Amino acid sequence: MSPAVTTHNDLDDKIRGRTKYVADLHLPGELVGGILRSPHPHARILSIDTRRARAIPGVHAVITAADVPHPPFGPTQYKDWNILARDRVRFIGDEVAAVAAESAEAAAQAIAAIEVVYHPLPAVFDPEEALAAGLAGAAGSGAAARVATRAAAAAGGRATDGSGAWAGEPVVIHDETPDNRPMHIHIERGDVDAAFAKAAIVRGGRYTTNRIYQGHLEPIGVIATWDEAEGLTLITPSHIPYRARETYAAAFGLPEEKVRIQVPPIGGSFGAKYVHKAHLIAAALARAAGRPVRIVFDRYEDMLTAHPRVPLTIDIRIAADETGRFLGKDVTVWGDAGARVYWSPNVLATACSRPDSLYHFGAVRAEGHLMYTNHSPTTCMRGFGNAEMLFAVESVIDEIAEGLGLDPAEVRLRNIVHRGETTVHGYRLDSCELEACVKRVMELSGWSRRKDLPKYRGLGMALGNHVSGYRGIDPRFEGSTAVARLRADGVVEVETGEIDLGQGMSSTYARIAARVLEIDPARVLVKSGDTGRYPFGIGTLASRSTVMGGNAIRLAAERLRDALANFVAEALGPGARFAGGVARVPGPDGRAAPGAPEAGEGGSPAPGVAETFGKVYDLAELARLYRARHAGDALEVRASYTPQTDFPGKDFYGNPSPAYPFAAHVAEVEVDPETGRARVIGYWAVHDAGVVLNRVAATGQVVGGVAQGIGWALMEDLRTHRGAVQNLTLLDYRMPGVADVPPVTVEFVEVPDPHGPFGAKSVGEVAIDPAPAAVANAIAHALGVRGHALPLTAESLWRLQRDARRDGGGA
Amino acid sequence: MNNLSLSINGQLQRVACDPLTPLADVLRDGLRLTGTKIGCRTGECGACTVLLDGEPVLSCLLPVAAVQDAKIQTVEGLAGDPRFEALASAMDACGGAQCGYCTPGIMVTLTAALRQPDRFAPGEYEAALKNNLCRCTGYRAIREAIAQVTAGLQSQEMTAGPARNSTATSEGAEALGQADALGKVAIPR
Repeated sequence: MSPAVTTHNDLDDKIRGRTKYVADLHLPGELVGGILRSPHPHARILSIDTRRARAIPGVHAVITAADVPHPPFGPTQYKDWNILARDRVRFIGDEVAAVAAESAEAAAQAIAAIEVVYHPLPAVFDPEEALAAGLAGAAGSGAAARVATRAAAAAGGRATDGSGAWAGEPVVIHDETPDNRPMHIHIERGDVDAAFAKAAIVRGGRYTTNRIYQGHLEPIGVIATWDEAEGLTLITPSHIPYRARETYAAAFGLPEEKVRIQVPPIGGSFGAKYVHKAHLIAAALARAAGRPVRIVFDRYEDMLTAHPRVPLTIDIRIAADETGRFLGKDVTVWGDAGARVYWSPNVLATACSRPDSLYHFGAVRAEGHLMYTNHSPTTCMRGFGNAEMLFAVESVIDEIAEGLGLDPAEVRLRNIVHRGETTVHGYRLDSCELEACVKRVMELSGWSRRKDLPKYRGLGMALGNHVSGYRGIDPRFEGSTAVARLRADGVVEVETGEIDLGQGMSSTYARIAARVLEIDPARVLVKSGDTGRYPFGIGTLASRSTVMGGNAIRLAAERLRDALANFVAEALGPGARFAGGVARVPGPDGRAAPGAPEAGEGGSPAPGVAETFGKVYDLAELARLYRARHAGDALEVRASYTPQTDFPGKDFYGNPSPAYPFAAHVAEVEVDPETGRARVIGYWAVHDAGVVLNRVAATGQVVGGVAQGIGWALMEDLRTHRGAVQNLTLLDYRMPGVADVPPVTVEFVEVPDPHGPFGAKSVGEVAIDPAPAAVANAIAHALGVRGHALPLTAESLWRLQRDARRDGGGA
Repeated sequence: MNNLSLSINGQLQRVACDPLTPLADVLRDGLRLTGTKIGCRTGECGACTVLLDGEPVLSCLLPVAAVQDAKIQTVEGLAGDPRFEALASAMDACGGAQCGYCTPGIMVTLTAALRQPDRFAPGEYEAALKNNLCRCTGYRAIREAIAQVTAGLQSQEMTAGPARNSTATSEGAEALGQADALGKVAIPR
């Protein structure tokens, strides 16, 4: 008889306040860390005096650049990071010095007592100006000077947000990158110029996307311990801990095995918490103080340094023939990396290419400039460049439809990708129900009423695609490894290197393993989040957890099932069989017991049953039998999943993911003509996520993504002036509250993908991809004029209407 | 440093601290009641919501000296409350939590609202959430959980009310699985 099993239910713990996040954890002897940050967007550090800070009671360590190593390192191939700034600060918030003290008060006092003398330097904040500012320094190059003049003129001739403080002097932010452009990419397929030459219609313009704060409710935090023998241990909610470990090991010159990251439950990230300077600084402080050091941000410091979504400036043109079939697409994208590279290169590359595998554009060309500026660095957030570019693409598609007098849905249906196709960049679409998604979202939203809506009401459509893991993340490999183990109490323990960040990964993995083993998911315990204990994994990004980790879990569960079958035959006799989560031994008449009682529920079968049909062993009994026959060991297997994908080379061609999810969204808005305020009053999302394994979680991903997309389109923007963010509180940076999100209808078109576990694909990021564009298209439909710059706030929409009235002579 | 007496979750607690310490810090650091979360420290996110004499308040803003005479209830202290338990089951079933960081604050806020049906029209309990931010769920699953609980409460009133008629009773009782207390309302999963 098996003991009752307590279900591991992380939702119930979260609901009851039992879940311990990093801020809820404490180590004995821990100190409080604090960081001194640059008040200047760009300055030389002339001197730092820490003597007064060191003398404050309770202060155990004060560190500056002189106390930390300075190897070239960083989370991407651009090795421009430091632990603390040496000689120069490059943005407001740049880390200059740090302290560890007995209390937060002592730490704050010590920070205030550090004296730094700065010599301010010219700074640049606009990506195009940054190129000109870099080229302005390249003396003697006639070509460079001409480009610089042209760029400066272009930048000067444009209406900016008032932060353009650059006066035309040379500014080089990193000496190794004299043009301030760490990445410059070109992607071109087909004859773009010929396509535009034969077009019946060309639409386009300049679209800009905003600086979005990830907005995780749990502030960034870390507890670091440094031990000469064990190395560095960080307790921090990173969802890509093995990659973070690699970066931190390089920073301190340690082997990776001497850096351990333990991941407590993650209170939201959306891209912000994977790798962070606070982790490095806590580590350096712990080493200097010889005690554990905790750094937990308040909201102000979190908003100052969480590193927002990469703002993009997109110049786009799309050409189509008179039937609305696309002939060519041409984009130039400027990305503001800020003063240091986090994950902006990957975001820019995604923006330059991903929508080309959603529609057949014909010939495509993209030029991407990733620019250093004196802004706080920018990085990844859910949607990862694709949602940004889709805002531009989907806006232009609506303009083409309008120009040709066609239904925007019809134009989309004429150009979308289908199952069995290989897209222009080599994506192989082995499953794709996009057309069914579009048709279903038209039905659900009542798309046919679009033409009859009253003024100031609008319906907008946008589509989206994404990946389920992306081969380009790590040049060395893609895939995932899982361990499955039968515990003595009959629980199946599954270990993975992927990380749950609240999206329901663990519960989905439990369902996958349970389905293979034909047991209750409550009897599967999923464990992850410790680089010192669990299998190596790339982590949770690029919407990879369901397909990558899920396939590894499925393979490991299959191996465990086969190993159990072998063990049952070996231990219980040749007629014994493992199926349905139990082993059945044939009775004297050779027949197996027809039905077994639920494990742990009724105990052994009734004596009469056993006599007639033979004995039934549940998993706990099998586990104990295994242990007895294997010197106390547990039955354990491991399996790796490696997808058949291509590493995108210099030409960005290849099939980078095993499975591509798709979505069709429709938003309905109402705009108040007096104030300009737009409200989303209806929203419909139909997704192709393959077979849905966890309906509650998948639906929650879609609705959550839509809500973030609504905030992105209408409300959110970290406003900067000369490099300083102006709205570093949640009252000034408004995220959607319950009243801002309308009822969202979600449906799935479920056709199995041949590569996903049980036919599943990803859903986390494709959920947000179409959302800003759908809202923007609905607003353009409601007003008859189009906003090109996110967010479409009340003020911007009021101005749009006023300008349209002025230009059009009244409306 | 002052010695203060606080009534927390029905127990008298003595704490020694600066009287201006935010209540949230006393709960979390002094009493290890870490179910009360801190998201902003400026009263803007709602993660630190606790009940003060039954009313939801932001414990990150309240100096502890100001709450000595009040009954304080944290999320931990609401366990067992029939409305909290009904909501907890519904939130679990609907997926009302994802990362979970805002969830205790939302549970506290909504439990207080459900205790005061006279303040909220049916279907308008979500108005109570005006001071609670959630970045993950888009609120739909939380709305569904509220709807499940209020539907359960309404049928309960029909069955338990003094003026019940026999037809409503049998239907309602069946739907509730013969519930004898709010906490035992069966929430369909």
